[in-house]
Amino acid sequence: MTAGTPASPHGGPEASPRGGPEASSRGTADVAVPGQPVPGDGVPPSPDRAPSAPASPRVRDAWARWRGPLGVLALLAAFALVTALVTRPGTGGYLSAESTTPRGAHALAQLLRDQGVDVRPAGTVQEARELTGPDSLLVVAQSQFLADEALLRDLAALPGDRLLVEPVTQALQALAPEVGAGALTDVESRAPGCDLPAAVRAGTAVTGGVSYNPPPGARSCYGGALVSFSSGGRTVTVVGSGEFMTNERLADDGDAALAMNLAGTRPAVTWLAPSLPQAGAAEGKASVQDLIPPGVTWAAVQLLVAIGLLAVWRARRLGPVVTERLPVVVRAAETVEGRGRLYRSRGARDRAAAALRAAALDRIVPRLGLTADATPAEVVAALAVRTGQNAQQAGAVLYGAPPADDAGLMALARHLDILERQVSNA
Amino acid sequence: MALTGRTGLLAALSALVVLFAPRPEAAAAGLLLVLAALVAVDLLLAGSVRPLRLERSGEHRVRLGDSARVTLTVTNPGTRRVRGLIRDAWAPSAGARPREQALDVPAGERRRVAVTLTPLRRGDRDSAVVTVRSVGPLGLAARQGSHAVPWTVRVLPPFLSRRHLPAKLSRLRELEGRNPVSIRGQGTEFDSLREYVPGDDVRSIDWRATARRSDVVVRTWRPERDRRVLIVLDTSRTSAGRVGVDPASGDPSGWPRLDWSMDAALLLAALAARAGDRVDFLAHDRTVRAWVPGASRTELMSVLVNAMAPLEAELVEADSEGMVAAILARARHRCLVVLLTDLNPAALEEGLLPVLPQLAARHQVLLAAVSDPRVAAMAHGRDTLEQVYDAAAAEHLRNGRRRMTARLRRHGVEVVDAAPEHLAPALADAYLALKAAGRL
Repeated sequence: MTAGTPASPHGGPEASPRGGPEASSRGTADVAVPGQPVPGDGVPPSPDRAPSAPASPRVRDAWARWRGPLGVLALLAAFALVTALVTRPGTGGYLSAESTTPRGAHALAQLLRDQGVDVRPAGTVQEARELTGPDSLLVVAQSQFLADEALLRDLAALPGDRLLVEPVTQALQALAPEVGAGALTDVESRAPGCDLPAAVRAGTAVTGGVSYNPPPGARSCYGGALVSFSSGGRTVTVVGSGEFMTNERLADDGDAALAMNLAGTRPAVTWLAPSLPQAGAAEGKASVQDLIPPGVTWAAVQLLVAIGLLAVWRARRLGPVVTERLPVVVRAAETVEGRGRLYRSRGARDRAAAALRAAALDRIVPRLGLTADATPAEVVAALAVRTGQNAQQAGAVLYGAPPADDAGLMALARHLDILERQVSNA
Repeated sequence: MALTGRTGLLAALSALVVLFAPRPEAAAAGLLLVLAALVAVDLLLAGSVRPLRLERSGEHRVRLGDSARVTLTVTNPGTRRVRGLIRDAWAPSAGARPREQALDVPAGERRRVAVTLTPLRRGDRDSAVVTVRSVGPLGLAARQGSHAVPWTVRVLPPFLSRRHLPAKLSRLRELEGRNPVSIRGQGTEFDSLREYVPGDDVRSIDWRATARRSDVVVRTWRPERDRRVLIVLDTSRTSAGRVGVDPASGDPSGWPRLDWSMDAALLLAALAARAGDRVDFLAHDRTVRAWVPGASRTELMSVLVNAMAPLEAELVEADSEGMVAAILARARHRCLVVLLTDLNPAALEEGLLPVLPQLAARHQVLLAAVSDPRVAAMAHGRDTLEQVYDAAAAEHLRNGRRRMTARLRRHGVEVVDAAPEHLAPALADAYLALKAAGRL
């Protein structure tokens, strides 16, 4: 409420010690005054020759202290490493024959191998060309990474049957030009609805995706999501969705059977599912990385090490950060300022006017030769005599009603000042 | 351990070598291995920090605003030279300079390192640790370790008001009649008899003594001596508020009321001790924080500043009842009780006023309070509406203080309410006035 009240018990310890000029203004510091305190006399707070004791831990003490936590950390790391190695999902992307992620097709490849089919995963067209023979089936997935005319030409030239999984338009035109892509449909459990033995034996399966317009003589199953036909002595099968082949869906419905029936028709399967865009070999592009000499890479590594060492140099502090208890910093006038703002925000003109009037009266009344218990009438009369002012006007200033608005309050403050000046000058 | 910038520089230079080397990967690995080996060798050859012996000497006390020197003696009992950096770490407000300095101690020798402390605040300042970084002969790596070398420097109140002391002492001498100025001693205490000389006040003729002798004899008077002055410092929450400008650092956020009160108390104590009065000192908020009973005249000031130095404003409400009880228990004879507190109407109304009659009945009470110059400045604002409202708030407080002063005076309590810089001389004047009037 009043000037001396700290705002709160935790009233803001200083964030940092106060800087500012060195304390040097001490007035007449050299006046020889008996009895002034002389630094250094009396009882010293601590013994004079203080012994020193090493405060940093020894290496073996530090080791003794940290080996427990370090051991636990090492155990955790080893456990995490083993767990990661054991449960690591295979590499590769969607429908990769080696990928054990839910989107991979490792399970299908494994099933095919169990049935005696030779599954040959291929990451690139080059590999696929080397692995494919006349009596093998070429599975092409992830054809969006094969969007290159030269590559597709190479693929089209390969012998043997084909199974195209979700081919992009370009791949479809190159590898099964007889088939046209139709509308997109939902991937869901569907009945075969055709007489293709592979589909009939499998029954319902999770199919859908793109539905194809079959060429004459082709068999279209699952609402067009599977088209199979013979062309130039080979069987070409196109499926609109590879979902039923993934590890995730293989166990649903007749998915496994359908996949096995489609992919296991030949003793060997070349499984082409690239996970990166395949660059056309003919173009012979060299990446920026290939153009950088190896020295630059290693020099950059060396520079990184240098930066790390410089960071270690700058980061090492010479001794600990020293803390201290800081005093409360609160200006005594803050409560008065707060009261002023409170008056203003609530428009407390009556209280403000009363305070100003009381203060003015306290100064005026003794000057008029009156005591503090003088009645208003006496004060106003004495004031009129002293200053020659209209008694009624002076009375209104000192004892009138509270001002009606802010302008009135300011006018009142000015009038009180004028009255005070007149009294002291008279 | 620590590395130096040289290690990083070497690594950066070796990057250049790697850039042009025929087998960059081998060069990189090899150079890094060489660097690691050099660092290891440097660490092995660096002087050991742990066996160093450090001793301190120097000042234990310093007045706020002055500087103190504390010296560290570093003894190297090892067999290798210790060369590098040393840092004597103190709390920030101890103002230790320089922060760190070079150190070079040959094997079996010792060197001195000095630190200058310029404290920013009153109170006890403890040293933290001394850290030494010993760089190896190659300048690549360093051993680093800390030693605890305890030392405390007590920062005493600055006693800025001592510049008023000569003037107040000459006032005192006037009262005692010892001044060269021919003002006859006035006072209320009988001093001695002497022969009448023309010009003496005839009212001071001692007729009874005159009758016994052939000469006319007058009584001489002197101010009362051997009275008791009990200075009571209020260390409760109201003493934490900052007023004026910090004279030690020039900080405009001000100096705590407590420090201004101490300054005034020291001037009063110095004056009272010279006037032959016995001075006691009590600091109180909810408990007794300091109690200095009747120190001898020669020791008084050093004992007082020593007792005041560690006092801090506690953020608790003052226990006036306890304070009065503490005063009454300690001051058995009538004395002048000087209460250095805040004239805060709300706090006094509930705290001191109800118990004041007990105190005023047995002792002469003098209450001294620091007023806030900022409030006084606010009371004159008239330019804008905000200033007028602020002025009203300031006047509200000042009205309260005036009413409280009037009420205290009705209880027979003297009140000194002065701006920070003027409190000490005003309090001294009030004391001299009481002494002249024989009211101690």
